[in-house]
Amino acid sequence: MTEIVVEQRIAAPPSTVYRYLTESDRWKLWQGSDAQLDARPGGVFSMVMGNGMNARGQFVELVRDERVVFTWGWIDQPGIPPGSTTVEIALSPDAGGTLLVLTHRSVPDDESAMQQMGWRHYLPRLAIVASGGSPGPDTGPA
Amino acid sequence: MDSFKVLAEPRRRQILSLIWNRELAAAEIASHFDVTFGAVSQHLAVLREASFVTVRKDGNRRLYRADEIALGPFKDVLETMWAKTLSNLAEQIELGEGEGH
Repeated sequence: MTEIVVEQRIAAPPSTVYRYLTESDRWKLWQGSDAQLDARPGGVFSMVMGNGMNARGQFVELVRDERVVFTWGWIDQPGIPPGSTTVEIALSPDAGGTLLVLTHRSVPDDESAMQQMGWRHYLPRLAIVASGGSPGPDTGPA
Repeated sequence: MDSFKVLAEPRRRQILSLIWNRELAAAEIASHFDVTFGAVSQHLAVLREASFVTVRKDGNRRLYRADEIALGPFKDVLETMWAKTLSNLAEQIELGEGEGH
């Protein structure tokens, strides 16, 4: 098992970034073509990428403007079954903006590089959107 | 199918690892797996469509090989992945030896 850690600095306060992690309409501005988020413990997390891959899980913990934890896996993909891994996104104030630290736990070793590539593609898009820019259409991680 | 989705399927990555630096016929690839020849053949078709493998005809055989250049940024991702799997394996073997097996 592998733990993936990806950091991203964002030129917007944690309270703004938090909304892009918990509101369906905002999430899909940086990742996926559709997102259905029921942001409360036990609520459903579902995000459909432009290529049709559907990430599904459940929210585990939410601390306003500080932390979002949810389980993560892919429907119809054998590599990471839904609910088998956990994503924790921690936000802290940083030089007038936010330092976001994403930790993806329990990722199978042979899936970790693909997942890391995905997050490294999407978190910069989140940084652009949350600070008021437009990241352009999502053409996927490569 | 986009590149990420093509490679999200573990079996397709395993097929690429088999034909990373050599050519193999579909039947030879299939012999490494516990699934039907048809399933392997479908995976190969997806990999071909994505241009991630090349095919060369040799008599009546069709030989498949991974196309490292076409894989672009995924080349490093795959190699990192496999190196890690190998080092984990080596670690496990060392641990096993350390326990006096």
